[in-house]
Amino acid sequence: MEVADLSQLIPRDFVRLGCGSLEGIVASSFRPRLVDLLEQDFKGLDDELELNANPEDGVLEPIRLRQLEDETPVFGVDTSNIELGDTTEGTLCAIRGTIVWRENGVYQYVRHGPFIFHITEANKQALYNALRQVYFSEDETVGAPILERMSERIRSILERWLQRQVCQSCDGSLLLFDGSLTTRTVNSPISVLGEILWTARARHNIVLAFSKKTALSVSGHRVADLIDNKYSPCLLNIDDVALSQYGSRLHFFGRIYAVKLVPSCFTFRLDIDRKIPEEEGIQAVQRLLGNDLIVENYPETLRLAHVLSRFSASEVIAMQRYVAENYSLKVVCRPSVRQVLFGPYGGFSSMRTDGADGYDANL
Amino acid sequence: MMQIYKIDGNNVEVVSCPPEDVRKGDYLMIEDASTDKGLIVQVVNTGYANVPGILEDILRESSTRRIEGKDLDVLSMKPFVDMIKDAKVFNCKIRRTLVKGKLSYDISWTPSRSTSRIVKLPDEELLRIAAIDRNPSITFGTSKSGAEVSINLSSIDGKLNIITGKKGTGKSHLSKLLILSLISHGGVCIVFDINGEYTNLGYTESNDKTPLHNKILILYPGRNFKVTLQYAGLGVLLNIASSVLDLPATSAWEVRRIWNTLVENGSLSLKRLGEAIDRIPNNYVRDAVLRRYESLVSTGLFTDNVSEATTLEDYIVKVKNGGALVINLRELPPSFRQIVVEFMLSKLCSLLDQWVMQAIFLFAEEAHLYLRETYWEDIITRMRHLGIFTTFITNQPDSINESIYRQADNIFLFNFTNENDLATVSKATMVDVETINVIAKELPPQHCLVLGKAVNDFPLIIKVKPLHVKTMGQTRLFFTRLNSENKDPDGQCYNEGYCPNNFVPNKNLPPIEDREWDKVKHSQVSV
Repeated sequence: MEVADLSQLIPRDFVRLGCGSLEGIVASSFRPRLVDLLEQDFKGLDDELELNANPEDGVLEPIRLRQLEDETPVFGVDTSNIELGDTTEGTLCAIRGTIVWRENGVYQYVRHGPFIFHITEANKQALYNALRQVYFSEDETVGAPILERMSERIRSILERWLQRQVCQSCDGSLLLFDGSLTTRTVNSPISVLGEILWTARARHNIVLAFSKKTALSVSGHRVADLIDNKYSPCLLNIDDVALSQYGSRLHFFGRIYAVKLVPSCFTFRLDIDRKIPEEEGIQAVQRLLGNDLIVENYPETLRLAHVLSRFSASEVIAMQRYVAENYSLKVVCRPSVRQVLFGPYGGFSSMRTDGADGYDANL
Repeated sequence: MMQIYKIDGNNVEVVSCPPEDVRKGDYLMIEDASTDKGLIVQVVNTGYANVPGILEDILRESSTRRIEGKDLDVLSMKPFVDMIKDAKVFNCKIRRTLVKGKLSYDISWTPSRSTSRIVKLPDEELLRIAAIDRNPSITFGTSKSGAEVSINLSSIDGKLNIITGKKGTGKSHLSKLLILSLISHGGVCIVFDINGEYTNLGYTESNDKTPLHNKILILYPGRNFKVTLQYAGLGVLLNIASSVLDLPATSAWEVRRIWNTLVENGSLSLKRLGEAIDRIPNNYVRDAVLRRYESLVSTGLFTDNVSEATTLEDYIVKVKNGGALVINLRELPPSFRQIVVEFMLSKLCSLLDQWVMQAIFLFAEEAHLYLRETYWEDIITRMRHLGIFTTFITNQPDSINESIYRQADNIFLFNFTNENDLATVSKATMVDVETINVIAKELPPQHCLVLGKAVNDFPLIIKVKPLHVKTMGQTRLFFTRLNSENKDPDGQCYNEGYCPNNFVPNKNLPPIEDREWDKVKHSQVSV
């Protein structure tokens, strides 16, 4: 796979719809917000499962793994979104996504974006349906989420689009997704994820989804404490536990494991495409061990995809400046409600005093 | 675009995004239209704005640098990101306020952060506002942007100046420029030339005489400058004997007694003085006085031969309409140097006291080598009031008394890299420590930071203009790397004989005749 192969793929409708939404804010006022960069980490709360298992069930036997080094290409996909500020009519947000792959020991990437959207109560429904129609081929109109959740939904659409492009472009590769292979909301319709996995299987790819957020406990103990470092690398099959507790409410496209790839203090949830045989899935994890770097129990390919997608403060300021300049926005400063009301007791955002942690978007 | 970020006392921090080409030493004008005032600030340091997340950016870039990749940046956001990353903060010092076109020292007001307009003050505009070039003026050089800088003569006249900087930065060059400029305006300069480097000021680089040639007189004490005891006078002699030669007070009384007797008898001469000292009955006193007498005689400064004796007035008359007396102290033993300087200063004070001349500009290079401790304060008090306006030139700032710095009217500061040297200058000068510590460290050769009245208290970086005279101030080298500058047009070594590899003897050595002492030994004024 060459960079050029993947860089030919441009989500043109993201550009078109994003620019279209921005054109509606000409000569409006813009209140750049002091963006809490930590909020980028709160995406994918939907993946969180609180599992409670009884160890006496005997299902939590670690599956020992070994490295399989066979030069299988490894691809990782990640995206991020951030809000840039408010306009008179709505809110401005930015989305970005990255595909990173490792082939023959060399990492490469293609980064899409940022794409900037102006979302208002007036255009959110049309925007949402247009994106779903273009990228999910979903003609059915569904209610758009509240304004505050729109950027996350748009990010989710970009992520699924990137995942699909990777599935369509690769053969015999390991595809690493950030998050889980579980659906329960309209942001990622069942048919879309199913189609992505089907495409992957058709081209002999195996999808492994790593989720950092699942809270997993067994009789009150976190799984991280249950999987001893001496067993690593290993998997802990918790699929039955998850199915028994959430099977009626969620659709699990993946077989669910707790995974410890290297001795570390972290244990992650790993979803492996349920439609492939379990042995083949376990073997895929062993190939991941042999063909990617594992740092703190996390594949380097996916870590790089995350690093490259995430927005830094300077990029946020740059994007705020971009929209202010290109769309003749009148920048107005808005005091922090929390700071005004609560002063030093206003929480994290109120702790910023001189721009050392937050920043002044007037730059 | 520039905006005020912080004002704290005399310090102003200005954020510039996109970053403007503003450098250390430049001036900015913060115009507050609402109050019709402008704050003139000088940039003393520059740095990147502390944009939050910049560390994250750098770490991300470093961790992904090994990765080949492509950014599909359809909105062309990168220039904006780069601009934010390159945003700068200028640390400035408030220098003055401009109220309705007039300068004011009132800096008690604060310009509006949101509505003030900040612009770079062009050097020409600053010079116009500062009005430092009122006539008569000396063309000093150029500002960093190339604007011609002239300083008013009155800012030098009656003032105490210090020229300091590490060696090879252009201190002597500047002092020569000042001397020549003063001479051309009719000033009388006395130069204590410790290295003999002012002796060729009357010649061009090609050894032709300059228009000021006849106004520059070189005095070689003990050679072409000798005086009689009568001319020197008892006071000067005792001064030298006690302060330079450490003659005890009781012995000084004996000298005074002998001197008076010889004067009464009309037989005051070096020879008679020696004979009278020989007859002092007290062995201890006789030995003490005799040793000092022999020291004085050995200098050759004093003579009984009226035909070879001269007076300072003889020379002063020649330069009274503008000129310089260069007193060559080169190759004189330290004690002889001190005797000469002591004599000269005493005589100059006496002449000024008698209004033989209006005032003089004294240039003292490395004065600590010949000026006794007690003279420092005398120079800035009594002598200054008599009309001796001193310029000290040194590469050892700690050699100059701290009180001199405090009372200096102008400081011409060349490059210093040594922290201790900078600390010495900064703790006693009229501007803040930061201005000196940051700017002086980065001054290129021939550039100086001018502080004080000469620049109307607007510290200014000036490139000193070149002089087309034989400056002789360069360090003498034995070998000079053979390069295009040192080759003749045909590319050959310019001297005959052995030329080792790519080295040739230094072309800048002074002519042989200048180094041959005997040639000037008995000559009259060498001009």
